[in-house]
Amino acid sequence: MTAALDGFRQQVRNWLVANAPKDWRATDTHPCFVESQRAWFKKLVEGGYAVPHWPAQWLGGGRTLAEQKIIYEELARADAPRLLLSFVSTYHAYSTIEECGTEVQKARYLPRILEGETWCQGFSEPGAGSDLASLKCKAERKGEVYVVNGQKLWSTMAQYADKCLLLVRTSREGAKQAGITFLLMDMKVPGVTVRPIHQIQGDEEFAEIFLDNVEVPVSDRVGEEGAGWAVAQATLASERGLTLMELSYRMRGAMWRIAKLVRDNGRAEDAGVLRDVGRLATKIDTACAIADQFLENRMKGIERVGDASIVKLTYARVLRDYAALGVRLGGLSEQYRAPITFGDLTTGNWMADFMNSYAWTIAGGSDEVQRNIIAERMLDMPREPKSWVGA
Amino acid sequence: MIERTELQHSARKALGEGSTAPDAAKSWDLISEMGWLMMAVPETLGGLGFGREALGVIHTELGRALVPGPVIAQMLVIEALCAAGEFVERDNLLARAMGGELMTMSLASGVALTAVPDADRASHFLIDEIDHIRLVPRADCTVTPRETWDKTRRLFDVEVRDEQAGFWIAEGQRAWALHNRLQSQLLFALAGDSLGGADAILNLTIDYLKARTQFDRPLAMFQALKHRVADLKTHLVAAEALFWSRANDKATLTEMGALKAHACAVYCEIAEEAIQLHGGIGLTAEHDCHLFLKRAMLNAALGGGNDYWEEKAGRQLLEERAP
Repeated sequence: MTAALDGFRQQVRNWLVANAPKDWRATDTHPCFVESQRAWFKKLVEGGYAVPHWPAQWLGGGRTLAEQKIIYEELARADAPRLLLSFVSTYHAYSTIEECGTEVQKARYLPRILEGETWCQGFSEPGAGSDLASLKCKAERKGEVYVVNGQKLWSTMAQYADKCLLLVRTSREGAKQAGITFLLMDMKVPGVTVRPIHQIQGDEEFAEIFLDNVEVPVSDRVGEEGAGWAVAQATLASERGLTLMELSYRMRGAMWRIAKLVRDNGRAEDAGVLRDVGRLATKIDTACAIADQFLENRMKGIERVGDASIVKLTYARVLRDYAALGVRLGGLSEQYRAPITFGDLTTGNWMADFMNSYAWTIAGGSDEVQRNIIAERMLDMPREPKSWVGA
Repeated sequence: MIERTELQHSARKALGEGSTAPDAAKSWDLISEMGWLMMAVPETLGGLGFGREALGVIHTELGRALVPGPVIAQMLVIEALCAAGEFVERDNLLARAMGGELMTMSLASGVALTAVPDADRASHFLIDEIDHIRLVPRADCTVTPRETWDKTRRLFDVEVRDEQAGFWIAEGQRAWALHNRLQSQLLFALAGDSLGGADAILNLTIDYLKARTQFDRPLAMFQALKHRVADLKTHLVAAEALFWSRANDKATLTEMGALKAHACAVYCEIAEEAIQLHGGIGLTAEHDCHLFLKRAMLNAALGGGNDYWEEKAGRQLLEERAP
């Protein structure tokens, strides 16, 4: 078993030596980034490493967890770009359609993901962040289409997306979750306007989407009308664990940057610095261990409510620590702005990485939301009273 | 291989679910009767032949219940006897030690002969001087009790009067290898003890927050407290995952040290917060909070402190990621 895995690792490593882009950090600025992401995705699909988490019927699918981990570790080791552009497509779109879609939807959309069609996620809104279920984006059924009006926010890479996983409100009756419907929307139809959001580190990873009388065929609805909240849970669960395992192992792989920084700055005999490095390395090991354990439990069917929150909270905080140590060790030179590169959380541009790390403590359910889930749903601490009357 | 959860269940049941700091003599009898001392001893030497994971279960459960006594030290002596080459008396001594006859050693790091648990009741001490390791009868030693803050452990200084006395267990290279092995085992045991204790005191704290009412509501309803508890739980669960991932023979000594340092940091954090979250009652000697805090802080000081192991881990990382 171990010998077979070693062989597989060598195979991945050899493939990456021959195929991984090498100078992408120097050249990847928008819109260059998009082109190189597309090219890299295509190459990974051909090499059979793009979707190791998909079933075996797909090219490159059917990999065991141990093999997936090896792929992620080797990608980090080779310092290859993360698949940011196709992330929502290969995880969220794939599992939503595979688990909840119709046969027609599956046949139509899934193969196109491997051909490079990209998806974004239209969940959050200006008034619906942590309280996602309060979303207002309205869809009215008119014959065989839904007419959608509203605004979506924090949609990753929406400016380049072909399709959108969209949550809309089809009813204001009853519980707020009950009036939500899940649609598959074409981003290229009339009425869709996308505006990138300028972020603090200079990137434009997120965008807002404005929807003005956009028509979505009823045949592109996933699940029943009003059942969108449950479908969205499947979407959100799809990346749970796998992404964080990938990112944790990539962070471990990227510890060479910290080691290099320590040496380059002549701090290799500084006990205080060594302790910080040691502590960080151990914390990264805990992030890897908890991600591993989560996936094992999930496969055994013994995942507990709140486990995913613990994994995310652990990773997000360690990522912040990683970038913060880089900023500190780099000193003043990190305060002189260097061009940023895209597509990774551990680029070695420490200030940019530090600011980018907030994407993980805020997006996808903020740390505060995760803490509520852990306290209330895992530890059974009582919820606060629901009603609130403003002063 | 016995299932981890199965062993956990039986250990917890034997120690009495939820009870803390049991009577020392009674719990020692229980520990020998349950066969826990011979857990890791190979079957060929009369033991149960379980691996490190099983030991991990025992140490976490002993830590959870704040069990007193020299279990960790005794297991180390047993481990040394197993690893020792054949010498007259070896099998006899091993059988006696597995049966509960007290043989103990220092839980401090290195060669210091301090922090030896229950030395006044021990028949022998394992003396580790790195270039040689021997088992010395108490008659050849002077034993001085040390007052400790942590009342769940009784520690002593030991002085060996005769430089040649005792059974020589290992010398030279073999002694060095055995020394590392024992240190590794000690660090793993302390990490387990710490995580078990941390879990127990965190659960007690959560129960208290649910039961205690102020401002007409349970304290557990306040988000400011919930979030602190959620962070503690997160740190604990992640540290536990690291612990089980290193419950094997592959982890290096430095990795075990880093694990122990991390586990102790988490235990101290939780035990400190537990007192704060309990409020006034946490300051009283009648409540268990302080027992956990004191054991946490003692564990942090045993086996080499956090500064030492974190620095070692930093060096190891730099070596691994050399250009």
